[in-house]
Amino acid sequence: MMDWLQAHPMTVVGLVLWAVGVLWLMPGKQAGSTRPKIPGLLFTAAGLFAFCLSCGKPQTQLADEVMFWVFAVSALLCGVLMITAKNPVYAALWFALATLATCGLFLLQSAPFLAAATIIVYAGAVIVTFLFVIMLAQQSGAAGYDQKSGQSVMATISAFVLLGAVAMTLQQEKLEIGVPVVVAKAKGAGTSAAANSENMISMVPAPADSLSPSSEAKAPAKPGNLLSAADPDHAVGDLKGLGRSLFSDYLFAVELAGTLLLVASIGAIALAPRREQGAL
Amino acid sequence: MTPEDLRFLLVGAGLFILGAIGFLTRRNLILMVLSAELMMHGVSMTLVTFGRIHQTQEGQIFTIFTLTVAACEAGLALALVLSLYRKSHSLDINLWSELREPDMPAPVQDAPARIDDGSGSYGDTPKLTPAGIAPKDPPRTKSSAGASSART
Repeated sequence: MMDWLQAHPMTVVGLVLWAVGVLWLMPGKQAGSTRPKIPGLLFTAAGLFAFCLSCGKPQTQLADEVMFWVFAVSALLCGVLMITAKNPVYAALWFALATLATCGLFLLQSAPFLAAATIIVYAGAVIVTFLFVIMLAQQSGAAGYDQKSGQSVMATISAFVLLGAVAMTLQQEKLEIGVPVVVAKAKGAGTSAAANSENMISMVPAPADSLSPSSEAKAPAKPGNLLSAADPDHAVGDLKGLGRSLFSDYLFAVELAGTLLLVASIGAIALAPRREQGAL
Repeated sequence: MTPEDLRFLLVGAGLFILGAIGFLTRRNLILMVLSAELMMHGVSMTLVTFGRIHQTQEGQIFTIFTLTVAACEAGLALALVLSLYRKSHSLDINLWSELREPDMPAPVQDAPARIDDGSGSYGDTPKLTPAGIAPKDPPRTKSSAGASSART
Protein backbone atom coordinates (compact mmCIF):
# COMPACT_ATOMS: atom_id res chain seq x y z
CA MET A 1 0.00 0.00 0.00
CA MET A 2 2.65 2.51 1.01
CA ASP A 3 4.84 1.36 -1.84
CA TRP A 4 2.03 2.00 -4.23
CA LEU A 5 1.37 5.42 -2.74
CA GLN A 6 5.02 6.34 -3.20
CA ALA A 7 5.28 4.82 -6.64
CA HIS A 8 2.12 6.39 -8.05
CA PRO A 9 1.57 9.77 -6.41
CA MET A 10 -0.04 11.02 -9.61
CA THR A 11 -2.91 8.54 -9.34
CA VAL A 12 -3.71 9.57 -5.80
CA VAL A 13 -3.56 13.28 -6.63
CA GLY A 14 -5.78 12.71 -9.65
CA LEU A 15 -8.32 10.71 -7.68
CA VAL A 16 -8.50 13.29 -4.89
CA LEU A 17 -8.87 16.21 -7.29
CA TRP A 18 -11.49 14.35 -9.28
CA ALA A 19 -13.48 13.48 -6.16
CA VAL A 20 -13.38 17.09 -5.02
CA GLY A 21 -14.61 18.21 -8.42
CA VAL A 22 -17.49 15.72 -8.40
CA LEU A 23 -18.48 16.79 -4.91
CA TRP A 24 -18.35 20.43 -5.88
CA LEU A 25 -20.50 19.95 -8.94
CA MET A 26 -23.02 17.75 -7.17
CA PRO A 27 -26.26 19.52 -6.29
CA GLY A 28 -26.31 20.19 -2.58
CA LYS A 29 -28.57 18.94 0.15
CA GLN A 30 -30.72 22.05 0.03
CA ALA A 31 -32.84 22.55 -3.01
CA GLY A 32 -32.00 26.16 -3.70
CA SER A 33 -28.27 26.24 -3.24
CA THR A 34 -26.18 26.81 -6.33
CA ARG A 35 -22.43 26.97 -6.55
CA PRO A 36 -20.43 28.39 -9.40
CA LYS A 37 -19.57 25.60 -11.80
CA ILE A 38 -16.16 26.72 -12.98
CA PRO A 39 -14.07 25.59 -9.96
CA GLY A 40 -15.70 22.19 -9.96
CA LEU A 41 -15.05 21.79 -13.68
CA LEU A 42 -11.42 22.82 -13.22
CA PHE A 43 -10.94 20.38 -10.35
CA THR A 44 -12.52 17.58 -12.35
CA ALA A 45 -10.48 18.27 -15.47
CA ALA A 46 -7.24 18.49 -13.49
CA GLY A 47 -8.03 15.28 -11.66
CA LEU A 48 -8.90 13.46 -14.87
CA PHE A 49 -5.71 14.67 -16.49
CA ALA A 50 -3.57 13.48 -13.60
CA PHE A 51 -5.44 10.18 -13.47
CA CYS A 52 -4.95 9.50 -17.16
CA LEU A 53 -1.31 10.61 -16.96
CA SER A 54 -0.69 8.11 -14.22
CA CYS A 55 -1.86 5.23 -16.37
CA GLY A 56 1.58 4.83 -17.88
CA LYS A 57 3.24 5.80 -21.09
CA PRO A 58 2.82 3.14 -23.68
CA GLN A 59 4.82 3.25 -26.86
CA THR A 60 2.06 3.96 -29.29
CA GLN A 61 1.81 6.24 -32.22
CA LEU A 62 1.08 9.89 -31.69
CA ALA A 63 -2.31 9.67 -33.37
CA ASP A 64 -3.42 6.83 -31.11
CA GLU A 65 -2.19 8.73 -28.11
CA VAL A 66 -4.12 11.85 -29.03
CA MET A 67 -7.27 9.86 -29.76
CA PHE A 68 -7.04 8.02 -26.48
CA TRP A 69 -6.68 11.25 -24.55
CA VAL A 70 -9.56 12.94 -26.29
CA PHE A 71 -11.91 10.00 -25.95
CA ALA A 72 -10.98 8.98 -22.41
CA VAL A 73 -11.08 12.47 -20.95
CA SER A 74 -14.31 13.34 -22.72
CA ALA A 75 -15.98 10.06 -21.69
CA LEU A 76 -15.13 10.57 -18.04
CA LEU A 77 -15.88 14.30 -18.08
CA CYS A 78 -19.25 13.71 -19.73
CA GLY A 79 -19.93 11.07 -17.12
CA VAL A 80 -19.22 13.56 -14.34
CA LEU A 81 -21.41 16.18 -15.96
CA MET A 82 -24.17 13.63 -16.45
CA ILE A 83 -24.39 12.58 -12.84
CA THR A 84 -24.27 16.16 -11.66
CA ALA A 85 -26.68 17.73 -14.14
CA LYS A 86 -29.69 19.32 -12.52
CA ASN A 87 -31.86 19.00 -15.59
CA PRO A 88 -32.60 15.40 -16.62
CA VAL A 89 -32.68 16.35 -20.29
CA TYR A 90 -29.12 17.64 -20.06
CA ALA A 91 -28.18 14.50 -18.16
CA ALA A 92 -29.49 12.35 -21.01
CA LEU A 93 -27.59 14.42 -23.56
CA TRP A 94 -24.35 14.20 -21.56
CA PHE A 95 -24.92 10.47 -21.41
CA ALA A 96 -25.19 10.39 -25.19
CA LEU A 97 -21.84 12.19 -25.45
CA ALA A 98 -20.26 9.78 -22.98
CA THR A 99 -21.58 6.94 -25.13
CA LEU A 100 -20.02 8.43 -28.24
CA ALA A 101 -16.68 8.80 -26.48
CA THR A 102 -16.88 5.23 -25.26
CA CYS A 103 -17.50 4.12 -28.82
CA GLY A 104 -14.36 5.99 -29.82
CA LEU A 105 -12.45 4.00 -27.22
CA PHE A 106 -13.97 0.81 -28.64
CA LEU A 107 -12.66 1.81 -32.05
CA LEU A 108 -9.20 2.29 -30.58
CA GLN A 109 -9.42 -1.19 -29.17
CA SER A 110 -10.10 -2.63 -32.60
CA ALA A 111 -13.78 -3.30 -31.98
CA PRO A 112 -15.44 -1.48 -34.88
CA PHE A 113 -18.58 -3.62 -34.93
CA LEU A 114 -19.11 -3.07 -31.25
CA ALA A 115 -18.66 0.67 -31.63
CA ALA A 116 -21.25 0.81 -34.40
CA ALA A 117 -23.68 -1.41 -32.48
CA THR A 118 -23.33 0.67 -29.33
CA ILE A 119 -23.95 3.89 -31.20
CA ILE A 120 -27.00 2.44 -32.91
CA VAL A 121 -28.48 0.92 -29.77
CA TYR A 122 -27.68 3.68 -27.32
CA ALA A 123 -27.66 6.90 -29.26
CA GLY A 124 -30.31 5.71 -31.67
CA ALA A 125 -32.75 3.95 -29.40
CA VAL A 126 -32.08 4.20 -25.70
CA ILE A 127 -31.38 7.92 -25.48
CA VAL A 128 -34.35 8.78 -27.66
CA THR A 129 -36.65 6.67 -25.50
CA PHE A 130 -35.27 8.25 -22.36
CA LEU A 131 -35.83 11.70 -23.77
CA PHE A 132 -39.40 10.78 -24.67
CA VAL A 133 -40.10 9.58 -21.17
CA ILE A 134 -38.44 12.61 -19.61
CA MET A 135 -40.61 14.89 -21.70
CA LEU A 136 -43.73 12.88 -20.86
CA ALA A 137 -43.05 12.81 -17.16
CA GLN A 138 -41.36 16.14 -16.70
CA GLN A 139 -43.13 18.64 -14.58
CA SER A 140 -43.06 22.24 -15.56
CA GLY A 141 -40.07 23.95 -14.11
CA ALA A 142 -37.29 22.27 -12.21
CA ALA A 143 -38.46 19.56 -9.86
CA GLY A 144 -37.21 19.66 -6.31
CA TYR A 145 -35.78 16.17 -6.36
CA ASP A 146 -33.45 17.08 -9.20
CA GLN A 147 -32.02 20.02 -7.35
CA LYS A 148 -30.66 18.11 -4.40
CA SER A 149 -28.78 14.92 -3.87
CA GLY A 150 -28.77 12.51 -0.99
CA GLN A 151 -25.66 11.12 0.69
CA SER A 152 -23.40 12.62 -1.93
CA VAL A 153 -20.32 12.86 0.30
CA MET A 154 -20.48 9.27 1.47
CA ALA A 155 -21.23 7.94 -2.01
CA THR A 156 -18.42 9.90 -3.65
CA ILE A 157 -15.82 9.02 -1.05
CA SER A 158 -16.64 5.33 -1.03
CA ALA A 159 -16.76 5.14 -4.81
CA PHE A 160 -13.40 6.84 -5.19
CA VAL A 161 -11.87 4.61 -2.52
CA LEU A 162 -13.10 1.71 -4.62
CA LEU A 163 -11.53 3.21 -7.73
CA GLY A 164 -8.26 3.74 -5.84
CA ALA A 165 -8.29 0.11 -4.78
CA VAL A 166 -8.87 -1.00 -8.36
CA ALA A 167 -6.05 1.24 -9.57
CA MET A 168 -3.75 -0.10 -6.87
CA THR A 169 -4.50 -3.66 -7.86
CA LEU A 170 -3.99 -2.96 -11.55
CA GLN A 171 -0.75 -1.08 -11.09
CA GLN A 172 1.10 -3.78 -9.23
CA GLU A 173 4.23 -4.73 -11.08
CA LYS A 174 3.80 -8.44 -10.67
CA LEU A 175 0.21 -8.48 -11.83
CA GLU A 176 -0.15 -10.75 -14.80
CA ILE A 177 -3.65 -11.05 -16.07
CA GLY A 178 -3.68 -12.75 -19.31
CA VAL A 179 -1.10 -14.43 -21.34
CA PRO A 180 -2.34 -14.37 -24.90
CA VAL A 181 -3.93 -17.67 -25.75
CA VAL A 182 -1.83 -19.74 -28.03
CA VAL A 183 -3.98 -20.44 -31.01
CA ALA A 184 -4.91 -24.07 -31.06
CA LYS A 185 -5.09 -25.00 -34.64
CA ALA A 186 -6.46 -28.48 -34.76
CA LYS A 187 -3.84 -30.38 -36.64
CA GLY A 188 -5.93 -33.40 -37.32
CA ALA A 189 -5.88 -36.29 -34.89
CA GLY A 190 -2.24 -35.67 -34.25
CA THR A 191 -2.98 -33.03 -31.67
CA SER A 192 -1.85 -34.52 -28.44
CA ALA A 193 -3.99 -34.13 -25.39
CA ALA A 194 -1.13 -32.63 -23.46
CA ALA A 195 -0.55 -29.85 -25.94
CA ASN A 196 -4.27 -29.21 -26.09
CA SER A 197 -4.65 -28.88 -22.37
CA GLU A 198 -1.65 -26.63 -22.28
CA ASN A 199 -3.39 -24.39 -24.74
CA MET A 200 -6.59 -24.40 -22.78
CA ILE A 201 -5.10 -23.56 -19.43
CA SER A 202 -2.67 -20.97 -20.61
CA MET A 203 -5.37 -18.45 -19.72
CA VAL A 204 -5.71 -19.74 -16.21
CA PRO A 205 -2.92 -19.65 -13.66
CA ALA A 206 -1.43 -22.66 -11.88
CA PRO A 207 -4.41 -24.34 -10.11
CA ALA A 208 -5.84 -25.53 -13.39
CA ASP A 209 -3.04 -28.04 -13.60
CA SER A 210 -4.68 -30.30 -11.11
CA LEU A 211 -7.98 -29.97 -12.87
CA SER A 212 -7.01 -30.64 -16.42
CA PRO A 213 -6.36 -34.41 -16.45
CA SER A 214 -9.88 -35.38 -15.47
CA SER A 215 -11.45 -33.04 -17.98
CA GLU A 216 -9.08 -34.30 -20.59
CA ALA A 217 -10.11 -37.84 -19.79
CA LYS A 218 -13.74 -37.00 -20.30
CA ALA A 219 -13.30 -35.15 -23.55
CA PRO A 220 -10.31 -36.69 -25.22
CA ALA A 221 -8.47 -34.74 -27.87
CA LYS A 222 -11.20 -32.28 -28.63
CA PRO A 223 -9.85 -30.07 -31.34
CA GLY A 224 -9.80 -26.36 -30.92
CA ASN A 225 -9.84 -24.23 -27.85
CA LEU A 226 -12.33 -23.55 -25.11
CA LEU A 227 -12.16 -19.92 -26.06
CA SER A 228 -12.48 -18.99 -29.64
CA ALA A 229 -9.04 -17.69 -30.18
CA ALA A 230 -8.66 -15.43 -33.14
CA ASP A 231 -7.38 -17.11 -36.22
CA PRO A 232 -3.92 -16.07 -37.15
CA ASP A 233 -5.27 -14.76 -40.45
CA HIS A 234 -7.92 -12.66 -38.70
CA ALA A 235 -7.12 -9.98 -36.18
CA VAL A 236 -9.11 -9.71 -32.98
CA GLY A 237 -12.29 -7.79 -33.57
CA ASP A 238 -12.26 -8.61 -37.22
CA LEU A 239 -15.83 -8.69 -38.45
CA LYS A 240 -15.43 -12.01 -40.17
CA GLY A 241 -14.01 -13.77 -37.16
CA LEU A 242 -16.49 -12.15 -34.84
CA GLY A 243 -19.46 -13.19 -36.93
CA ARG A 244 -18.17 -16.71 -37.34
CA SER A 245 -17.62 -17.08 -33.63
CA LEU A 246 -20.98 -15.53 -32.79
CA PHE A 247 -22.93 -17.76 -35.10
CA SER A 248 -21.06 -20.98 -34.49
CA ASP A 249 -19.74 -21.11 -30.95
CA TYR A 250 -22.42 -18.92 -29.48
CA LEU A 251 -25.37 -19.71 -31.69
CA PHE A 252 -27.44 -20.93 -28.76
CA ALA A 253 -26.70 -17.78 -26.81
CA VAL A 254 -27.67 -15.66 -29.80
CA GLU A 255 -31.03 -17.43 -29.97
CA LEU A 256 -31.44 -16.94 -26.23
CA ALA A 257 -30.69 -13.25 -26.58
CA GLY A 258 -33.32 -12.96 -29.28
CA THR A 259 -35.84 -14.67 -27.03
CA LEU A 260 -34.88 -12.36 -24.21
CA LEU A 261 -35.56 -9.37 -26.44
CA LEU A 262 -38.97 -10.78 -27.34
CA VAL A 263 -39.87 -11.42 -23.71
CA ALA A 264 -38.68 -7.97 -22.70
CA SER A 265 -40.74 -6.27 -25.38
CA ILE A 266 -43.84 -8.24 -24.37
CA GLY A 267 -43.19 -7.34 -20.75
CA ALA A 268 -42.72 -3.68 -21.53
CA ILE A 269 -46.01 -3.61 -23.44
CA ALA A 270 -47.77 -5.38 -20.57
CA LEU A 271 -46.28 -3.04 -17.98
CA ALA A 272 -46.81 0.23 -19.75
CA PRO A 273 -49.92 2.24 -18.80
CA ARG A 274 -52.94 1.52 -21.01
CA ARG A 275 -54.97 4.13 -22.70
CA GLU A 276 -58.20 3.15 -20.97
CA GLN A 277 -56.50 3.63 -17.63
CA GLY A 278 -56.42 7.33 -18.27
CA ALA A 279 -53.82 9.79 -19.39
CA LEU A 280 -50.49 10.08 -17.66
CA MET B 1 -0.80 -6.73 -19.84
CA THR B 2 0.68 -3.73 -21.49
CA PRO B 3 0.37 -0.20 -20.09
CA GLU B 4 -2.06 0.52 -22.90
CA ASP B 5 -4.44 -2.15 -21.68
CA LEU B 6 -3.96 -0.88 -18.16
CA ARG B 7 -5.24 2.56 -18.99
CA PHE B 8 -8.28 1.23 -20.81
CA LEU B 9 -9.08 -0.86 -17.75
CA LEU B 10 -8.73 2.22 -15.57
CA VAL B 11 -11.04 4.25 -17.77
CA GLY B 12 -13.58 1.43 -17.58
CA ALA B 13 -13.33 1.41 -13.80
CA GLY B 14 -13.75 5.19 -13.77
CA LEU B 15 -16.92 5.00 -15.85
CA PHE B 16 -18.25 2.30 -13.55
CA ILE B 17 -17.74 4.26 -10.35
CA LEU B 18 -19.17 7.41 -11.91
CA GLY B 19 -22.32 5.45 -12.66
CA ALA B 20 -22.30 4.11 -9.11
CA ILE B 21 -22.06 7.61 -7.66
CA GLY B 22 -24.94 8.73 -9.86
CA PHE B 23 -27.05 5.77 -8.85
CA LEU B 24 -26.45 6.38 -5.17
CA THR B 25 -26.94 10.12 -5.08
CA ARG B 26 -29.53 11.09 -7.66
CA ARG B 27 -33.17 10.87 -6.62
CA ASN B 28 -34.74 10.92 -10.06
CA LEU B 29 -35.97 7.55 -11.33
CA ILE B 30 -34.86 8.16 -14.90
CA LEU B 31 -31.44 9.43 -13.89
CA MET B 32 -30.90 6.34 -11.77
CA VAL B 33 -31.58 4.13 -14.78
CA LEU B 34 -29.22 6.26 -16.88
CA SER B 35 -26.52 5.89 -14.23
CA ALA B 36 -26.94 2.13 -14.38
CA GLU B 37 -26.38 2.37 -18.13
CA LEU B 38 -23.18 4.32 -17.49
CA MET B 39 -21.99 1.51 -15.23
CA MET B 40 -22.79 -0.86 -18.07
CA HIS B 41 -20.47 1.15 -20.34
CA GLY B 42 -17.67 0.71 -17.85
CA VAL B 43 -18.24 -3.03 -17.79
CA SER B 44 -18.30 -3.18 -21.59
CA MET B 45 -15.00 -1.31 -21.76
CA THR B 46 -13.43 -3.72 -19.31
CA LEU B 47 -14.74 -6.76 -21.20
CA VAL B 48 -13.41 -5.51 -24.51
CA THR B 49 -10.04 -4.81 -22.95
CA PHE B 50 -9.89 -8.27 -21.44
CA GLY B 51 -10.70 -9.73 -24.81
CA ARG B 52 -7.84 -7.82 -26.32
CA ILE B 53 -5.46 -8.83 -23.56
CA HIS B 54 -6.23 -12.48 -24.17
CA GLN B 55 -6.39 -12.04 -27.93
CA THR B 56 -9.78 -13.74 -28.16
CA GLN B 57 -13.14 -12.76 -29.55
CA GLU B 58 -14.92 -13.52 -26.29
CA GLY B 59 -14.65 -10.04 -24.86
CA GLN B 60 -16.48 -8.49 -27.77
CA ILE B 61 -19.04 -11.28 -27.95
CA PHE B 62 -19.89 -10.94 -24.28
CA THR B 63 -20.17 -7.20 -24.78
CA ILE B 64 -22.67 -7.75 -27.57
CA PHE B 65 -24.77 -9.84 -25.19
CA THR B 66 -24.55 -7.24 -22.43
CA LEU B 67 -25.67 -4.71 -25.03
CA THR B 68 -28.74 -6.84 -25.71
CA VAL B 69 -29.50 -7.14 -22.03
CA ALA B 70 -29.00 -3.39 -21.59
CA ALA B 71 -31.53 -2.68 -24.32
CA CYS B 72 -34.09 -4.99 -22.67
CA GLU B 73 -33.37 -3.42 -19.32
CA ALA B 74 -33.87 0.10 -20.62
CA GLY B 75 -37.22 -0.79 -22.16
CA LEU B 76 -38.53 -2.54 -19.07
CA ALA B 77 -37.20 0.14 -16.74
CA LEU B 78 -38.91 2.88 -18.71
CA ALA B 79 -42.21 1.00 -18.69
CA LEU B 80 -41.90 0.62 -14.92
CA VAL B 81 -41.01 4.30 -14.53
CA LEU B 82 -44.06 5.31 -16.52
CA SER B 83 -46.42 3.17 -14.47
CA LEU B 84 -44.90 4.52 -11.25
CA TYR B 85 -45.28 8.02 -12.60
CA ARG B 86 -48.95 7.40 -13.25
CA LYS B 87 -49.47 6.61 -9.58
CA SER B 88 -47.46 9.35 -7.94
CA HIS B 89 -47.16 12.05 -10.63
CA SER B 90 -43.56 12.51 -9.70
CA LEU B 91 -40.26 10.90 -10.54
CA ASP B 92 -39.04 11.18 -6.96
CA ILE B 93 -37.66 7.86 -5.75
CA ASN B 94 -38.22 8.86 -2.12
CA LEU B 95 -41.97 8.63 -2.59
CA TRP B 96 -41.54 4.89 -3.07
CA SER B 97 -39.26 4.25 -0.13
CA GLU B 98 -42.05 2.51 1.79
CA LEU B 99 -42.97 0.22 -1.08
CA ARG B 100 -43.50 -3.30 0.29
CA GLU B 101 -45.85 -6.24 0.46
CA PRO B 102 -49.07 -5.49 2.40
CA ASP B 103 -48.29 -7.90 5.22
CA MET B 104 -44.72 -6.75 5.77
CA PRO B 105 -43.80 -4.35 8.58
CA ALA B 106 -42.74 -0.87 7.62
CA PRO B 107 -39.04 -0.55 6.83
CA VAL B 108 -36.81 1.31 9.21
CA GLN B 109 -36.33 4.77 7.84
CA ASP B 110 -33.03 6.47 8.24
CA ALA B 111 -34.26 9.59 6.54
CA PRO B 112 -37.70 11.07 6.15
CA ALA B 113 -39.37 10.09 2.93
CA ARG B 114 -39.79 13.68 1.97
CA ILE B 115 -36.94 15.98 2.79
CA ASP B 116 -38.02 19.28 4.18
CA ASP B 117 -36.06 21.85 2.26
CA GLY B 118 -36.44 24.46 4.97
CA SER B 119 -38.88 26.64 3.13
CA GLY B 120 -41.79 25.17 5.07
CA SER B 121 -43.23 23.46 2.04
CA TYR B 122 -42.72 19.86 1.03
CA GLY B 123 -40.75 19.46 -2.12
CA ASP B 124 -43.00 19.33 -5.10
CA THR B 125 -46.41 20.09 -3.67
CA PRO B 126 -48.07 23.01 -5.44
CA LYS B 127 -48.03 26.30 -3.64
CA LEU B 128 -50.79 28.89 -3.61
CA THR B 129 -49.56 32.19 -4.84
CA PRO B 130 -51.54 35.37 -4.20
CA ALA B 131 -52.86 36.88 -7.42
CA GLY B 132 -54.85 39.90 -8.48
CA ILE B 133 -55.14 43.26 -6.84
CA ALA B 134 -55.06 43.22 -3.09
CA PRO B 135 -58.32 44.67 -1.69
CA LYS B 136 -57.94 47.82 0.35
CA ASP B 137 -60.30 46.89 3.12
CA PRO B 138 -60.48 43.14 2.91
CA PRO B 139 -62.55 41.51 5.68
CA ARG B 140 -66.22 41.30 6.54
CA THR B 141 -68.24 40.25 3.58
CA LYS B 142 -71.94 40.82 3.72
CA SER B 143 -72.89 37.24 4.34
CA SER B 144 -70.51 36.76 7.22
CA ALA B 145 -71.66 40.02 8.74
CA GLY B 146 -75.27 38.93 8.36
CA ALA B 147 -74.49 35.53 9.86
CA SER B 148 -72.75 37.03 12.83
CA SER B 149 -75.57 39.53 13.39
CA ALA B 150 -78.13 36.77 13.08
CA ARG B 151 -76.25 34.72 15.65
CA THR B 152 -76.21 37.60 18.11
